Amino acid sequence: MGLDRRAFVKFVAGGVAGTLFTPVIWKGLDDAAIWSQNWGWIPRVPKGEVKSAPALSKLCPSGCAVKVKTVEGQPFAALGNKDNPMSKGGICPVCAGAVQLMYSPARVKSPMKKVAEGKLQAISWEDAEALLVEKLTALKGQEGKVAAICGDSTGSTAEVLSALVAGLGSSAFSVMPDEAYVASQGVKLMGGSGQPGFDIEGADLVLMIGADALDSWGPSVANQKAFAAARPVGADATAAYVYAGPAANNTSAVCDKFLAVPPTATATFALGLANALIAAGAVSSASDFAEYKALAAKVTPEVFEKETGLKADVLKDLVAKFKAAKAPLVVAGASFGQGAGARDFVAAASLNVLLGRVGQKGGMTLLPAAPKAIASAIAPAKDAASYLAEVATGKAAPGALIVYEANPAYALPQAADMAKALGNIAFKVSLATYMDETASLCDLVLPAAHSFERFDDAMNPYGVAKPTYLAGKPVVKKPVVDAKNPADVLLGAAGKLGLSLGVETGEDLVKAKAKAVGADIAALTGGGAWQGEAKGGALTLGAAALAKAPAAKADDKALALAPIAKLAIGTATLATPPANLLTIRDTELSGKDLFVQMNAATAKKAGVAEGDRVKLAAGSGEMKARVHVNEGVAAGTVAVLLGFGRSAWDEFTKGKGDNVYKILTVSDEAGTGLKVWAGSTVTVAKI
Amino acid sequence: MEEKKQCKGCGGALPFVIGFVAAVIAGWVLFPDMIYSKKTQPVRFSHKIHAEQGLECSGCHVFREDGSYAGIPTNEKCMECHADVVGSDPAEKIYVEQYAQKGKEVPWLIYQYQPDNVIFSHKAHEALECTSCHPDMAKNDTPPVYFQNRLSGYSKQTMKMWQCERCHAENGVSNACHVCHK
Repeated sequence: MGLDRRAFVKFVAGGVAGTLFTPVIWKGLDDAAIWSQNWGWIPRVPKGEVKSAPALSKLCPSGCAVKVKTVEGQPFAALGNKDNPMSKGGICPVCAGAVQLMYSPARVKSPMKKVAEGKLQAISWEDAEALLVEKLTALKGQEGKVAAICGDSTGSTAEVLSALVAGLGSSAFSVMPDEAYVASQGVKLMGGSGQPGFDIEGADLVLMIGADALDSWGPSVANQKAFAAARPVGADATAAYVYAGPAANNTSAVCDKFLAVPPTATATFALGLANALIAAGAVSSASDFAEYKALAAKVTPEVFEKETGLKADVLKDLVAKFKAAKAPLVVAGASFGQGAGARDFVAAASLNVLLGRVGQKGGMTLLPAAPKAIASAIAPAKDAASYLAEVATGKAAPGALIVYEANPAYALPQAADMAKALGNIAFKVSLATYMDETASLCDLVLPAAHSFERFDDAMNPYGVAKPTYLAGKPVVKKPVVDAKNPADVLLGAAGKLGLSLGVETGEDLVKAKAKAVGADIAALTGGGAWQGEAKGGALTLGAAALAKAPAAKADDKALALAPIAKLAIGTATLATPPANLLTIRDTELSGKDLFVQMNAATAKKAGVAEGDRVKLAAGSGEMKARVHVNEGVAAGTVAVLLGFGRSAWDEFTKGKGDNVYKILTVSDEAGTGLKVWAGSTVTVAKI
Repeated sequence: MEEKKQCKGCGGALPFVIGFVAAVIAGWVLFPDMIYSKKTQPVRFSHKIHAEQGLECSGCHVFREDGSYAGIPTNEKCMECHADVVGSDPAEKIYVEQYAQKGKEVPWLIYQYQPDNVIFSHKAHEALECTSCHPDMAKNDTPPVYFQNRLSGYSKQTMKMWQCERCHAENGVSNACHVCHK
């Protein structure tokens, strides 16, 4: 019998029939159903012991004391730390994503050296550190030749950086502009010294002028906890909250009252209130009360209404609230945490002096100067915007610039000009956790360890009522990328340059700081916080400064520009965490279009309507956006969210919207010498 | 030609029977071997020797304080006795030199590995005998061969959902999705 076609078909048919009596098909179908579950690219959930380790997350400006949950030592979530007196179990929207950001694709994964314009190449740490030392050695001993810009206003690493610059014979140490810097200048103008603090927890009436204290300003988690404690569910509120700012935001949403004040009229609003309070009988023993009273009297109800767009009746209501309150507090701040002049700060803070609320429970406090960990550390000569403006004009000519945890190419006013100024510097090195706009422009990029990978600390986050110190230690045994603690890198370089700064490592640095402060380092790294006592101190009403600095006046055709910060969208040093993209509304960003917001009357005045594409221009900068009409925006004001228009970072943030920093214009504040941009104005044109 | 088309019977039913039998044999004898790849544990761990030393199962396979089950012990536990080589078994030497002293966890193959989307609580099943689901390992001198399904990637011993459901149904336990899929 040969195997012909028919026999073969029979054989196959028999085979198929036989297969039905075996597990082949049934087992195959069963396994195929779960075939996709173990594809190699699917992330696996580590299985092991779940632990919780206290840590300090410094991704937000004030730092959050958190507990990092780990499985087999690998972090997978950050939660609030109930044992910490600052956060009391709360966590900000940035630090809530801190673990995910540790694994971010935007992290600088290894040291990188620029090999061509726009092209960076990975190099070893040994080569990178040798290059850094070589460049700094060549400039040693020449004033102004080595410069540094620091974006960390609370960490002791800033002391190391400043001491390194000073040790190399330079004083060109500057900081990214923040409220702490301006407020301290403001306190000086009021005859005092130190960083101001605000005891929100102890107040029974909190008036926030510009300060978005329940979201993006100051120790927002501590502020939120104070708010929550004063507004218990099912019981009467023990404190009233009023927000006066340029646009409705997360803070105004929960306050008893929201007053829409244009950013150009912040000081006017405060002085108008001072006038009303004085008229209602408020007096102060401050030496300049008479002069202050005369200044405030110039802000008549008519002037107040014209400049703020509010009815003068709101002042009567506020005065009644202040009279009824036992512990009122005025929190002074800029709506987006920087760029306000000392005039705005002094005008708002003077209300605390007028009401006798300085140094009182629930009032404004002054923090004594924090002890140093590095004896040779120097104070910043100026803010980074002022410094880079000098670089742009050739007044300053550094040969090397060290940028630490700062992004001046993106987060300074007239950002494009700032990026150009950076181009004038021959050698730029960035110690950065993420590949941001500034790191992309640098000649050498040194990956900085993430908060959970290093020793770090936070001294007196701006806004705290008492001297406060937090410290954290690494949660992981080694960084997830080839990163180092910037303090270790800077201290190593200092050693090779023959400078002795008193400590050898980042760990030693934090321990030295804790010792100087008088804190127990074990308690701090265990999740605790050290808190000292604030000092009182007599302040004047700052009348002399208020008289010198004229109020910014908006051009009739221009609109006041109000950059709006939302912590969930990111900070000056951090792009939007991927997990927070869903918190951005369709009326804030649609596709790649950013929406600017203005009320209907303002839109009519500007000749634009809902959804129109517009160009905003100021100085040499311009940005494109679309219009969203929002009645929560102050009169004559265009509100623009910060945090968009990234040209670096990752797929989640790059190329979305436009960067409002491009159209913030810097001006000199008369009488204080400060650079200010919080009162910028813009023209809006339909395109 | 006509006769050829009729094929003279073409062997009758014989080709069909041959095909049928061959498929049955292949399906029952060859297929089970083909669908699984065989792997051995990275270290030849002898449960027998440890049992003979008087160790209880629960001495190494413990519940943590939070009630979660530790499963296979980590170096931390093993190194309580094996920080250095204490015996003459070459497998112990491999463990100590290649894993314990290098601080590297042994990548043990988990016979009952469950998918990530399944939350199996050993605590909830504590009343059952371990051997109801796991092989009795106490007398085992060499770890059994690990059979990994070439198609699904799971171990041959991974319990399928129908097995969980059957046991739950037989014992009056809910089979609602959220019981296992949190």
